[in-house]
Amino acid sequence: MKAVGARVPRYDGVAHVTGRTVFVEDFDVPGAAWVKALRSPHPHAGIAKLDASAAERMKGVRAVVTAADVPLNVYGHLSALGIPGDEPLLAEKEVRYVGQPIAVVAAEDEEIALAAVDAIEIEYDVREPLFDVRKAFDPDAPQIHEWGNWYPHFEDGYDHRQIRKGDIDAAFDQADLIVQGVYRPAAIEQLPIETQVCQVVPEANGRLTIYSCTQALYFSMGVVAAHLQQPLNKFKFVGGTVGGGFGGKVDTATETLCCLLALKSCKPTKWRWTREEEFLCSSTRAPWHMEVADAVTKDGWILGRRMITLHDSGAYARFSPYGVTKHSFHHTGAYTIPNLHFDGWVVFTNRTPTSAMRGFGVTSVSFATETHMSRIAEELGIDPFELRLKNANRIGDTSPNGVVYTDPSTVPTILAIADHLGHELPADYRTMTTEPRSGDLLPDHLVAQLGNPEDH
Amino acid sequence: MSLTVNGRTHEIESPPLTTLLDVLREELRMTSPKVGCEQGGCGACTVLVDGQPRRSCLIPVGALNGVAITTVEGLGTPEDLQPIQAAFVHHYAAQCGFCTSGLLMAATAYVANGGTDDREAIAHALGGHVCRCTGYVKIVDAVAAAARGDEFDLSTTAEGRYTTMHTGGDS
Amino acid sequence: MAIHKGRGIAAIEYPTGMNQNGDPSQAWIKVKPDGRVDVFAGTSDIGNGSKTIQSQIVAETIGVPYEWVTYDNSNTDSSPVCTGTFASRATFVAGMAVKKAAERVRERILDIAGKELEIDPSDLDIVDGEVVAKGAPQTKISVPDVAAAATWGHGELITGTGAQLKPYAAIVEPDTGKVDLPPHSAISYASCAAEVEVDDETGQVRVTRLVQCFDVGLAINPTLVEGQIDGGAIQGLGLGVLETSYPYYPSIEHRGGEFGSYLAPSMEDMPVLDTVLIENPSADGPYGAKGIGEMANNPQPPAIASAVHDAVGVWITELPITPERVLRALAAKASGESEPTRKGKVVVYDQDLSLAAVARPDAPVKLVVDP
Repeated sequence: MKAVGARVPRYDGVAHVTGRTVFVEDFDVPGAAWVKALRSPHPHAGIAKLDASAAERMKGVRAVVTAADVPLNVYGHLSALGIPGDEPLLAEKEVRYVGQPIAVVAAEDEEIALAAVDAIEIEYDVREPLFDVRKAFDPDAPQIHEWGNWYPHFEDGYDHRQIRKGDIDAAFDQADLIVQGVYRPAAIEQLPIETQVCQVVPEANGRLTIYSCTQALYFSMGVVAAHLQQPLNKFKFVGGTVGGGFGGKVDTATETLCCLLALKSCKPTKWRWTREEEFLCSSTRAPWHMEVADAVTKDGWILGRRMITLHDSGAYARFSPYGVTKHSFHHTGAYTIPNLHFDGWVVFTNRTPTSAMRGFGVTSVSFATETHMSRIAEELGIDPFELRLKNANRIGDTSPNGVVYTDPSTVPTILAIADHLGHELPADYRTMTTEPRSGDLLPDHLVAQLGNPEDH
Repeated sequence: MSLTVNGRTHEIESPPLTTLLDVLREELRMTSPKVGCEQGGCGACTVLVDGQPRRSCLIPVGALNGVAITTVEGLGTPEDLQPIQAAFVHHYAAQCGFCTSGLLMAATAYVANGGTDDREAIAHALGGHVCRCTGYVKIVDAVAAAARGDEFDLSTTAEGRYTTMHTGGDS
Repeated sequence: MAIHKGRGIAAIEYPTGMNQNGDPSQAWIKVKPDGRVDVFAGTSDIGNGSKTIQSQIVAETIGVPYEWVTYDNSNTDSSPVCTGTFASRATFVAGMAVKKAAERVRERILDIAGKELEIDPSDLDIVDGEVVAKGAPQTKISVPDVAAAATWGHGELITGTGAQLKPYAAIVEPDTGKVDLPPHSAISYASCAAEVEVDDETGQVRVTRLVQCFDVGLAINPTLVEGQIDGGAIQGLGLGVLETSYPYYPSIEHRGGEFGSYLAPSMEDMPVLDTVLIENPSADGPYGAKGIGEMANNPQPPAIASAVHDAVGVWITELPITPERVLRALAAKASGESEPTRKGKVVVYDQDLSLAAVARPDAPVKLVVDP
């Protein structure tokens, strides 16, 4: 092969080092208005009064947009996957997180835009917020979402994601030891160096050109089209060159509102989030609360796993049901555990809605279950490499929801780092492969879970 | 007031409290310095002011009478890259490219001021620049290579110092 | 006061493509009259290098130099659908779309070359921009000449389209989670060993080295793969010991609104990175490639947590592992408060963090483990 496998230079490498790569804000859009948003200062409040007329009348203000201006204010970005909409583009009757946008203003410069935001009259009636996912299920917890405090629209009306496999009670009966722990990774920022930004130009033929930093041109175009109730060819998304995304630029955070302002003002409009807005108002990686209880034998077999997951979705669902589903499919990680009892909830809290970030759904479960494996090794007095190698997926093993592993590489990657570290392993571990289980590596309790790799 | 940028003198119309970053990008239409934070926290706006790296988002242009500004536009061209630029290409020091301009200017000053290829010294000198994509390793590789005066074959990229490949299946 | 060293490991896996699939990517390619190749695809390059990777795939598949390929992902008028750059799908799913389009282009080039040379196209190959007769390399026609013949002789635009779509895998049994089809395009694997130094007086955790092994199927561009691994390592380190959007989670108080109050990893946080790449090819990815973009930041946090335990004997399972958390854990250990409860064969860690400790007893959700 010539091109594939070769260390060719980056397609845009020379452009990057000569300052010629064109990011969204590098497009010259003369006369673009500045956008600022009126954002909620409260984590949970009703909107008692909203009057933007003083802002609209202000000199230098080109347009003000509120929920009343949005053709379809609530649109489920993943409605094609059966996840209905819950999040308004602009808040209408209430706000559910600090920073939630209520109105946007386009003005001739940044100062006027900020002054116009201040001139919008708004009154709140403050309500009790909910911040702790563990309290969401209490009968007297504040109710903060019209669906209840957790997402109820999984298949067949399930209010949680469920995985069941084998016989969990038998596994826990047979175990020599049960090890239980709680794992809580934090929300973090995607933190691209380029903040959320877009520029929208209304064209002479009635179309809108949208210079977007989205990670997903067509996905974002679909979102804008749905909110505006227009066919796709009303919009030309220009982009594909993004200053970092890491999952945070799938949210379509600026494009729809800029389009509405551009349409209302008939003028080009630009919205660049400040770094402060990026830190405080953009979506984050979700915090997760995971409790794992593993039934293990004293010679290091993981017989079964009970797990509950509370995913902190923040104020709205966004992509969380998708994330929790992916999480559930991978909650055994790189190992074959034949008896499973998993329940996962998408829980609402009054914080910034959480969204995708690198590893969405699986980063959390890898943290929980891998730390847990190390604890098990410690409790059993078994070498942590050996514990993992023994339980590692092999060809023909099946995943939590019955999918056959056709070519897992867990064993060689563990052996590679053991080798690199000079970590001694007994001969029977050093020579392990991913071939289908047999002999000592196929105890009775792993027989029922086997599948046929040819069925893949 | 007048401002000399990359050897050319411009008459500046923006008010004196306008940041140098906004003057460069909005008035002079030089887009290489980027807006990353406007807080002085990320370094993406770094340009050279009389040869020293400064955060252009923090400097009011009125304070800059009589200085010489250098931006990436004043380094090399695609046909004639300066060594630091060639180093960044060959060592794959830029992924999304958004932090690259600021780092190039800081690295240019580091090398011009006699900076060595010592990795700790480079990390200490450039540590105020935030990059989210690269993990910094190849940035340090590139700056070290430029400090040493390495020659660069731009038809390929450098192999990382630490990787081994096993091809064709499990062990 | 002392610095304690420790090591911990983690082994992980991660799927390529959107969970449950159903995520299309499409591409179309045209050949200019002088043989240069234009690719139109909708994949955003967010720094991951998808413009580069997809151009390499096209060049390889057609048989022309990488420098002949122009890649345009700039707008939705000319580029077809790509679901997006996430779910580690840009190399595999979007890459297969451009590969399929390139295969169509290759077929057209061979067909026209066959007419020009009066040779059956199946007896021709394309190498380095030239169509050559297999076994008789002196019989050849350059791709530029083929393109010229197409334009001014045959009246044809040499073009090809490709679409990659793995069918949606529905959950057919919501009570068990069973699906009717495999819910991923491939699975990638990695292991990580983290070495740390923990200062028992300040609580600070320094990650000094990460030894990692990644199976990427096939590295379309090994340098770009290294870049993903480096970048992911620092993000994983950040998740493990530095970063949090809510320092007093679950409270929303004292969120950091600027660099400095939010601790982004810096150059001075870099550990030594020792990386081994394994290539265990995927069954149906482009040239055997699998995704790596996201997995790169998954194994470090648990490896670091295990390493901290190895160093100072405390398990910290709330991230990030801050100096404050380390010092509190060391104090609890010294006073005997941090021991797990043991009842019969059941060992329970972190009871104070659990749902049961915080929720009302009549709350309907709990982890049921019968001691």
